[in-house]
This record gives sequence, C-alpha cells and structure tokens, in this order.
Amino acid sequence: MKILIATSVTPFVEGGATYIVDSLSQHLQARSHEVEVLRFPVSEKYPELLDQLLAFRLLDLTQHGDRLIAIRTPAHLLKHPHKVVWFIHHYRCAYDLWGTKYQGIPDTPEGVAYRDAIIAADNVGLREAAALFSNSTVVRDRLKKFNGLDAEVLYPPLSDPQRFHSEGTGDYLLYFARITHHKRQWLAVESLRYTDTPVRLVIAGCPDPGEEPYVDDLRRAIEKYGLSRRVTLISEWVHEAEKVDLFARCLGVLYFPFDEDSYGYASLEAHASRKPVLTTTDSGGTVELVVNGRNGFVTPADPELIGHAMDQLYQDQDLARRMGEAGAERVDEIGIHWDRVMARLLA
Amino acid sequence: MRIAWFTPLSRKSAIARASVAIAAELAQLADVHICHFEPGEVREAAVPVKRFASAAALDDRTLENYDLAVYNFGNYLPFHREIFLLSRHWPGICILHDIIMHHFFAAYYLEDLHSPAAYSLLMERLYGEPGASAAARSLSGQPVWESSEVGSFPLFEEVVQGALGVVTHSEFFRRRVAQNFTGPTRRIPLAYDADRSSPVVPRSHLGVEEDRVLLITVGHVNPNKRIEAVIEALGSLGSAAGRLVYAVLGPASPEYQRKLEEAVRRNRLEGVVRFLGHVPDDVLRAWLSHADICINLRFPATEGASASAIEEMLFGKPVIVTDTGFYSELPADCVVKIDPAREDDLAGVLSRLVADPAARKALGDAAWRFAESEYRASRYAKELLDFAWEVRAARPLLTLADRVANECYRMGIAADMPIVDTIAREMGGIFGRR
Amino acid sequence: MKIAVLNNCVPFLRGGAEHLADALAAKLAEYGHQPLLVRVPFRWEPPQKIIDHMLACRLLRLPNVDRAIALKFPAFYVPHPNKVFWLLHQFRQAYDLWGTRFQGLPDTADGRAIRDVIVQADNSYLPEARKIYTNSRVTSDRLKKFNGLDSEVLYPPLLSHSQYLCGEYGDYIFCPGRINATKRQRLLAESMQFCRTPVALLVAGKTETAGDAEAIQALAGRSGMEKRIRFIDRFIAESEKVEWFSQSLGCAYIPYDEDSYGYVTLESYLSRKPVITCTDSGGTDALVKDGVTGHRVAPEPRALAAAMDQLYADKQKARNMGEAGYALVQSLRINWDNVVEKLTR
Repeated sequence: MKILIATSVTPFVEGGATYIVDSLSQHLQARSHEVEVLRFPVSEKYPELLDQLLAFRLLDLTQHGDRLIAIRTPAHLLKHPHKVVWFIHHYRCAYDLWGTKYQGIPDTPEGVAYRDAIIAADNVGLREAAALFSNSTVVRDRLKKFNGLDAEVLYPPLSDPQRFHSEGTGDYLLYFARITHHKRQWLAVESLRYTDTPVRLVIAGCPDPGEEPYVDDLRRAIEKYGLSRRVTLISEWVHEAEKVDLFARCLGVLYFPFDEDSYGYASLEAHASRKPVLTTTDSGGTVELVVNGRNGFVTPADPELIGHAMDQLYQDQDLARRMGEAGAERVDEIGIHWDRVMARLLA
Repeated sequence: MRIAWFTPLSRKSAIARASVAIAAELAQLADVHICHFEPGEVREAAVPVKRFASAAALDDRTLENYDLAVYNFGNYLPFHREIFLLSRHWPGICILHDIIMHHFFAAYYLEDLHSPAAYSLLMERLYGEPGASAAARSLSGQPVWESSEVGSFPLFEEVVQGALGVVTHSEFFRRRVAQNFTGPTRRIPLAYDADRSSPVVPRSHLGVEEDRVLLITVGHVNPNKRIEAVIEALGSLGSAAGRLVYAVLGPASPEYQRKLEEAVRRNRLEGVVRFLGHVPDDVLRAWLSHADICINLRFPATEGASASAIEEMLFGKPVIVTDTGFYSELPADCVVKIDPAREDDLAGVLSRLVADPAARKALGDAAWRFAESEYRASRYAKELLDFAWEVRAARPLLTLADRVANECYRMGIAADMPIVDTIAREMGGIFGRR
Repeated sequence: MKIAVLNNCVPFLRGGAEHLADALAAKLAEYGHQPLLVRVPFRWEPPQKIIDHMLACRLLRLPNVDRAIALKFPAFYVPHPNKVFWLLHQFRQAYDLWGTRFQGLPDTADGRAIRDVIVQADNSYLPEARKIYTNSRVTSDRLKKFNGLDSEVLYPPLLSHSQYLCGEYGDYIFCPGRINATKRQRLLAESMQFCRTPVALLVAGKTETAGDAEAIQALAGRSGMEKRIRFIDRFIAESEKVEWFSQSLGCAYIPYDEDSYGYVTLESYLSRKPVITCTDSGGTDALVKDGVTGHRVAPEPRALAAAMDQLYADKQKARNMGEAGYALVQSLRINWDNVVEKLTR
C-alpha cells in the first residue's frame, strides 16, 4: 500500500513523535509498503495556532495514498478518505493544562475563545478518522473526557527490540532517561541511601536544555550521602552501542518519572533486555506495563520502599532474571509489537 | 477588564451626559477611563479622565494598556471627528447614538477636507448609483442631509466598518446595522438620568395660567419634528384650542421660524403657540415639570433613541410619538403612537387627551415606571460589559479572518473566486462559526 | 544557523528538485548549520486548488528558524522575516507556458483569474525576500521579464564532485539519464546512421515509456548499427556512470528547452569531457560553448552526426574542449562552498 504519515514538528526541538514516526516508517517499509513522511513545522505560540489549523484544512492530500496516518497534533486536521489517527498527545495548553499555571493561553475572553476554537477543530478532525488510536490509556482517557471520543490503545513498540539482549544480571540498577527534574533521577539517589546491600546505581542520559543546575544537584547529593563509589552519573549523549550494553549488563532498570502519559521507552528497552522494571505508583503509564511482583516492582514513591525493592533484586538474582523474562512476556501480552501495530493501523 | 471610553465630554453634548452616567456605573464592574479630545472646560466625571490632543497624538502603546476601546458616535462632527479617526486605526466597540450620520460625513469631507470628490466616492461606494446621484444633488445646492431622503443614505455604514462590535439603542436600528455589519451587535436601552429633584419655578413664572392645558415640544426646531402638523391639528380644534398653550422649546432657523409663524397665523393660534427658542437647562426642566402633554413626533426617525422622549417619560408625562423607529418599540400603554401615514389622527388624539386628565395620568405613570427601570445607567453598564466579553471572545476568529483577507488582498483575489467560499466553509467547519 | 529549506511535495514522486533539496540540507549540515527540510504538499488540479495551497502556505509558520531558503512554488510563500530564494521554479503555466500547449490552466475567465492571482502573489511576496537566487540564467530572465525582479544566478552543484574521473578519450559518446521524449535520446540514435567515423553511442538509463525503449532498440538493431549503438535500458549505478564518463570521448545531452544546463552536462565537464547539445536545448548554453567546450548544433540528425564525427576525428581537440569546460565550471563557482556561503549570507 501507499501510506502517508503526517506529523507536526517544532523546528529544532526534539520531540517524542520523531521516534514513533521514524520507527513506523521503517517498519512499514520493511513490510514492502511505500511510505511518504510529511513533517509539518508548527508554532504553538499563542495566538498563532488558529492560522495553522486552517492551513491544514486547505492542504489537499486526498488524492494520495491508501492511508493517511496522522500522528502528532494537529496533523489529524488533514483531510483524507482513509485517515487513521494514532494520537500521542493533545495540544495540552488547551486541555489538561488549562486551569493550571502551565496553561500558556491567557485567561481572557480572547484566550477562552481561542481555546474553544482549538477544541472545536480537534473534534472535527478527529471525528473524520476511520480509526482512532492512542499511544496509552492516559491519552485514551483524555480523548474521552475532553473530546467525547473512544480510542483504541495501540502501544508504540521499540523500533529495534532485537538489538537489546541480556548478559546476565549485574550489580547495578540503571536509570536511563533524559536528565530533567520530572524524570526524578534524584529519587533514585535518595532511595539508594536506604539500601542495605551494596547495589550500585548508573544514571545515564542527556540533560535537557537548562537542566544543568539539576545535574549539579544530583552530583552534590551523591557526594553528600557518601554514595560516590556506588553511583555513576553519565550526563551526556550515550551512543547506541554503549546504551545497549548498559542495559544488557544491569541488574534491573529504574523508571519512575512523575505522572507521565506513557510507560516510556526505557521500560521497553529494559524488557527487551530481559530486565525487571522498578517503578512507582505515581509514575503514570508505567503501571500499565509493570505488574508488581511479576515483571518488576511498583512501590509508592517513597525512598525507603524503593530502596527495599532495590535490595530485593540484589539479593535474589534469580528473581531478577525471572522478572526480566516475565517482562518480555508482558510486552507481548499487551501487544506492544509491530505486527499488532501494522494489523490495527492498516485494517 | 480595562476599557478606554471615548466620548465627547462637553457640557453641550447629550452623549457626554450619558457617558458620564454610564462610566460611573461601569466603574463598579471594570476599570474605565473616559478619554476625550476637547480642550477647555468639560463635564466632571467620577472615573479617571484622560485628555488627548487628537487621534494622531495617541500612540499604540497607550492604547495597548486597555483591553478594549469603546467609541461613542453622534452626528455632530466637532464632537466626534477625532473619535472617528481613532476608530479607523484601532478597532473597538462603536456605540451609535444616531442612525443618520450624514451630516457628520458631509461636514467632514466638504468643510474639513474640502473634498467633494471624496464625499461623492463615499456615497457611491456605499449606495451605488443612487448614492452617486444624491451626492451630485447635494453638491449642486440641494443637500440630501436637509431632505427626508437622508434616511436612505444614513452613512452609519462607514462608521461601523472594521468595528469589533456595534451597540445601538433600539432594536430596529440594530437589525439595520446587522444588515451591513457582520460582527456582533447589541441593543441596549439608552442610559438616561433625569433631574427631577431640583426645584423649579411655579407655572405662573412661565407665563402659563393654571387652567390652561400645557403642551410642549422640546428640541432643535426642524421639519423632522412635524411641528407644522401639530399646528394644523391644533387649528382643527377650533375654539377648543383656546384652552391650550403649545410651547416650542428649541432654536429654529429664521426662515423656518417664519414659516411656522405663518402657519400659526393661518390657523389663528396666535394666543396658543409660543416659540421660546433655546432655553437654559433649569428653565427647560421647569417646562417639563409643568407640562401636561409632551408632543414628540419624528419623521423619519434619525436618532438611535430619543433622549427627549426618555426624559419626558422619566418626568412621568404622557407623550405623543410617531409610530416609527425607536418609538415603535415603546410599550403601547406608556405613550400614544401616531401612524406616520395618518397624521390627521393627531387632532383626535389631542382633543381626547386634553379632555381626559385621568387618561393623561395613567399614561404618565406607566411611562415613568417603564422608563425608570429601562433606561438605568447601571443596566447599561452591565449589558455593555456583557457585550464587551462577547466582542472580545469573537476577536481571535475575526483577527484570523482579517489576516486571511489581507493575504487574499495581497494576492489580488476577487470576492467571487471559489477560495472565498472555501475559506468561509472551512473556518465555519472547524471553528463552529463564521 | 537554524535553516528551513522550503520545497513543495507531491507524495511518492521524487524529481530533480527533491534531490537538490536533499543535497542542500545535507550540505548545510556538513557546513555546520542545522537544516530542516520542509516539504509542503501541492495539488494543482482542479486549478482552483492552486489558490487553496498558496493561501495554506501563507498561513504556515516557521518558529525557531533563523533563515528560510525557498525553492519552489507555492512552498516559497511560507512567511519568514529572513528568507532567501533559490528559485528552481515559478509556476511556469502562468508565465512562459501560458499560450502554449503546456499552459495547464484553462483559457477561461476563471483560468485567467487564477493566472493573475499567481502573478500578483509572486509580485507581492517575492520582493520580501532578502535576496533572490535562481538556478539558471533562463529562470532569472523569466523573473525579470514577467515580474520585474532582479536575481542572481547560483548554479546547483551535484551532491558530490570528487568521484568523477577522466580516463581515456575513447570511441563512444555517452548519453546517460532518464530516457523520454523531451530528452530526445531517439534523435541521437537516429543520427548514428549519418556518421562517417566509427564513433559509437552509449545510451544508458531507465526508459519512461515502452515506446521509447522499442524505438531505440529498433535503431540499435538495424544492420550495421550493432556495434555503433549500445543501449542499456535500466537504472544505472553511480559507479557505472562514473566509469562510462571517464572512458568516453564526450557526452551528448540534447533535451528540448530546459531551464538549467542539466546534471549530465555538469557531470561530463567534471569528467573533463566535451558536450554535444542542441541550439534549442535551452540552458545548456550556460556551459556548452560552441567550439570551446563542446558543440551546439541544430536538433537534426546530420548535424548531430557531424558533431560526433568531429570529436572522433580530433581527439586532442576533444580533450582541450573537455578541459575548457572543466575550467568554465570552476570559474562559475559551481560548488557547495559558493552555494552555502551565498544562501547563508
């Protein structure tokens, strides 16, 4: 089939959709489909969005492709006889961030009308879809709550899960994620203080722009708690090969960001490497994937309890290994694989 | 909400009077500044007053301090010129106190700018060939604005172009504006406060005996007020007219005055009709206080709402009006309406009312009750603020439409090209309105 | 700098402009900039759709971008305060193709109205650019003639120049590239019968229609022509192309009325081989100077045969002309240093 993938980008800002779009394109082509990826630059600055929403209605792709798969908002406003939406998040300022200090849109009659217009447009564009998918249950619930729409959850898999493997159970827990405050690497450091075993911690990832103070805080905390010998902090870009290796040799993976929509690619990378995931009850989407005691631990976001779970893994390597295997099963069980994605998107 | 309220503030402006009252009430609900362009002594207000030399002297940074500008319009150029110029540059809400804005533009183009061509162009642009012809007539000694034709060429359309919203004081005028203006419109009953509490001189001081029935007509004396018809009607009452006094309070041009006096002589009403010319406010209040019947005819209706009729109702008087425009919307039990095509009815109405004090009282009381609640400044302020919210909420899509229109203009896209419909359809389609 | 490259896009179709846009993005990155390739869909049938897409482009935004480089209609209308044009294409149907059979737009009131809008839009928006570059003298001349706008010619280089080689000056004229009626490989094949020297022809590339393939096969199959015309009817690899250029006597590139000199012409001169072109080929005259860097002849079999014979008969001259062509390419600064420097200035 000929397939259009349409998405939006904020120029020169790394966005979550890049990975999903690239991996979808790659896997469609691997199955002999012809793919054209359209990345539209979009400004989210108030009050520029309405102009662009209108632009999306005027661009005509209706004569091309057997499917149009729309990913990042407002790509779903494009018209197509067979539009499939794989919705990853709303323009949050108008939705779940409205009424909070992150609202971004002024609280004036103009701002309210602007927000209403965005929601109205989304309601039109989304309802034109032949099929509506979300990348997580959180997003599915928001689509229901704000747009009155039922979406099917379709989890985005890793693009190359086969690159990951296990080289036994090591002596360190790995926290691999962008270094930014809401990912809560600091909680991992705090939790290590409460361990009785000599389990180690490796924190690796690229700091977000402006997060240097946070990295400094992490270093200071590690110093202060006397954990310098047990904690390795890699605050820079890590090459793929090194990343795969870090996952392969770890004991288990820590991933407990604050209230994220999705379980995170780190969780998938963990299970692809047959490692358990240690997460918390307030992490958001991870709890869809991690079942406490089965493929990892889900504890309250309390350093003592997290520390205890860390010790458990260290003390029972067999448990860690079994949980890692269960992780691979769990991923398959809830359908996080490309065959399912293909079947659903191209149905 | 921060509102810049542009208005004349002169003591001679009735609109200024209304603005002061409204602004005082509006200040309870929003931050209001009265902004005006007149030098010299002006009315006092209970809100901050900002004076500017001219529209050009106001810079955008100052205007950006406000969420909305409100522009008060009347037909008199000296009071409203700078307001008009500013409204072109900085869109806001336009309040149209007068329907007919022809005199304003005639004075602007012909006396201010000395450009008959611009006046003609305006008339043609808004009214096509008939407008062009009327302009030609105006320029060759038969001014449209002094004839009854003026109702067909009101020129308010030029004022509202580009406005964010328009306020009128009668429903019929709002509907008319809506035919020419695609943005939000609202009818709000004109705010008016009548001073009924200050003491007035007794009737005898006015030279009117206690046993005479006093009829008055207030306002600038011109054919529009149908005074000739009143004189004829009084004449047809024969000797019964002897029990009446008809006082005409307002300035008249010498020729028109002569014409009316001629009608008075013809109808042998020398002892009945009195022309008092312009009188000071306190004298006017005295006449209003003592009047038994107010005659407030108009044809055609040129004002958005009649301040004089409202004042007369607030004084609890029976008012005879023409059944047109603003007056048609007044409740039937509060005023007596004359069908403009049947002015002869006036004689019958007058003789009936003159003979029936109880009927007069009933009308007057009903008029007072109605006017007292309808024309409150507090109500005006509340409805205006509500409208301001509506207007501001309409802005994002209006601004988008403007930007699109601008691009179309730059590309030379004609109004009849399919893209114009496409844009309207798509915007309506995704945003839920035009 | 953060640079957006604006091109239009017809899904699933890639042509010269797409390759150039890709090359430009790659080179900008190489020179230390951050490029973003923006491809805006374009539909022009029915003609009303053209206006829809022009307006859509005006409504798009480029946040966080320092410079925009605009290549084609209508993507070049996307607003940006720091825009430079590298004009590959206006919508020619509204300009030089109007009044010809390639007009595309109907000659009705509606069609003319659309044409007028395109012209007015170009006149309104193109002057907003910081600078207008074009890919050829022909494009610049058109822009001046129809829109009164001045522009500087900035010749598009190939993605890489270094792989071209000059080996022997052999016995064959090389004719690579897409095979279709506009490129006129058939005409070349027809010319061979009039050659008096043993010069041969090598035509290599993908045919676009069966008709072209058959016709050239037939000409190659005629008696006496088996050794004279070699026809490779498939997509050829870069390495094959480089090799065939390096061993050729010269190159023939005779398209009908093209704007630019064509990549084949450039490739030939980078391989230091002279080029045979036609007087009606259009922009090839920017590089092919008759008697100096090659031959420009009438689009007619005997004239073409004579040109090929001339190269064969005097290989030293062929070599000199090839070198002259190479020198001309250098002097015109057809390289990425020049292009990137100008577009990011």
